[in-house]
Amino acid sequence: MPTALSSVAVPARRRFRLSAQTRGIKLMLPVLLLLLVFFLVPVLTLLLRSIMEPTPGLQNYAELLGSQTYVRVFFNTFMVAGVVTLITLLVGFPTAWLLAILPPRWSRLLFAVLLLSMWTNLLARTYAWMVLLQQTGLVNRVLLGLGVIDQPLTLVNNLIGVTIGMTYIMLPFLVLPLHATLRAIDPSTLRAAAVCGASRWQSLRLVLLPLALPGIASGALMVFVMSLGYYVTPALLGGTSYMMLAELIAQLVQSLLNWGLAGAAAFVLLVVTLGLYAVQLRYLGAGRSGMGGR
Amino acid sequence: MNAAKPIRTRLALLASLSVLAAAPAMAENLVFTSWGGSTQQAQQKNWAQPFSAASGIAVAMDGPTDYGKFKAMVESGNVTWDVVDVEGDFAYRAARDGLLEPLDQSKLKGIDPRFISANAVGSFYYSFVLGYNKQSVKGSAPASWSDLFDLKRYPGKRTLYKWSAPGVLELALLADGVPANKLYPLDIDRAFKKLDTIKSQIVWWTGGAQSQQLLASGEASIGMFWNGRINALQHSGAPVGMSWKQNLTAADMLVIPKGSKNKAAAMQFLAYATSAEAQAKFATETGYAPVNLQSKTKMTPAAVKTLPDQFTASQINLDMRYWAEHRDEIAKRWYAWQTQ
Repeated sequence: MPTALSSVAVPARRRFRLSAQTRGIKLMLPVLLLLLVFFLVPVLTLLLRSIMEPTPGLQNYAELLGSQTYVRVFFNTFMVAGVVTLITLLVGFPTAWLLAILPPRWSRLLFAVLLLSMWTNLLARTYAWMVLLQQTGLVNRVLLGLGVIDQPLTLVNNLIGVTIGMTYIMLPFLVLPLHATLRAIDPSTLRAAAVCGASRWQSLRLVLLPLALPGIASGALMVFVMSLGYYVTPALLGGTSYMMLAELIAQLVQSLLNWGLAGAAAFVLLVVTLGLYAVQLRYLGAGRSGMGGR
Repeated sequence: MNAAKPIRTRLALLASLSVLAAAPAMAENLVFTSWGGSTQQAQQKNWAQPFSAASGIAVAMDGPTDYGKFKAMVESGNVTWDVVDVEGDFAYRAARDGLLEPLDQSKLKGIDPRFISANAVGSFYYSFVLGYNKQSVKGSAPASWSDLFDLKRYPGKRTLYKWSAPGVLELALLADGVPANKLYPLDIDRAFKKLDTIKSQIVWWTGGAQSQQLLASGEASIGMFWNGRINALQHSGAPVGMSWKQNLTAADMLVIPKGSKNKAAAMQFLAYATSAEAQAKFATETGYAPVNLQSKTKMTPAAVKTLPDQFTASQINLDMRYWAEHRDEIAKRWYAWQTQ
């Protein structure tokens, strides 16, 4: 988890700032080389295909942005990723907090539960949700049996299904970096707030949340960006009215062999994602969080 | 840990050396790629293994078939697949785009003329059939595609194949009263209008296993399925039934990608896999029909009874040539309609 590591490594980096930076660049060379060969070159090839196939020009982009279908799918993709990020935050923050304050024995157990689910095969987990959430599934049967509802709820093949399935999968990616940030917060700051007469709500809002913001931001960004490219879970748990871009790209690449259009779609998604990342860096990154850097 | 490492590396080196040394011992070998699951297992057991035993040519399994990968291999000239199981419309399209090797027709004997062309020979053929869950369907059993659209008599979710492919549009038109011989060219507007009437009740399946899960659990009470999948559910004791009326047939095809390094061995394998004997064994195991016309004489009467080709009277062939021509434009309309 790179984000978790970097936020933990902050003090050390400050102390040996100069020497660490020069050493860091040399140490990074292999990684940079790897990225160049296995990431940058393929992305450029993709871009090239999107403007060269089937004939040179921008017709793939025109088709993509001129078609209601693709625009709708783009919108779905960002909407679903946004909803998933929000719900993951709402569930993840208390979980991370709990992990940070529980006695080690219990927090280890909670960690194990969290990580164990992460190590289980993605497809198996998604199928498990399908079985749990469908109309004849466990959730509906229990609710029906208890008399809470008298008609089974539609919990899969729609936005609810995708959100539940993806939130569950994304949770560790938020909780882990956030937990590291929360652990690094000195508990005495909260005590100090209480001593100064802050209510619980005020300490949360004015002390804890601002201090946790770097962790929240990096975790949320990771969840959002990963969600944008998700394929298996939306395909199995979502209906077609919330079809996401990755599904469409897969169809274009594997089945329709329209690589030009697929390249254009992937490239637009990449650009928008990088743009969002830049915005986040600008407003929540280096300056605001005080996490060293430039 | 550290001390053990060099030894392990040396062992690994030795192992890889011995593999290199062993490779030339086998005269030739080839890679067969198919869709995975029980179907490919049956292909391995009934085609690849006996073929290797008889010819000394090793057949390695790979999969699943991926047309993107297929095209990339041929374009880059680095073809690692020698025989590939593909859908019918892709076979036509790939032939048109020059992605396939021509087949030696003299080696292919007894093949149903519907399933052989210059560059492709049938693998097996299947039907889309109407399937239903006996417990969730009340009254008389659904019998035709129009019952799939009858929300009053058969309420509940219905499940259809998700991606733009031959099948769904055809059955919608049949349900709307289009005669089988007037299906093509497809009246796409009419098909979508018919599908609109059940759109809110459709659950889409993306693969065979999911379709089985949806039907067996009762999540969907009715739907379209590959006949082999219903066959397998019935064998496992699930309360499901199927109707063969207007079953929609299509064949998977076997092709050799252009630039395959083991063309001669691949051709030998094709001849074996489509032989009456090998086709009969595969059909007996899977419930999919043989493409070799002589195979039925080599099967038990009970096994023959469950094959799609017992229902030829009510059978409609999906027009793969039409789909090969129009797949792109249909896909555009399809996803526009689905995401609405």
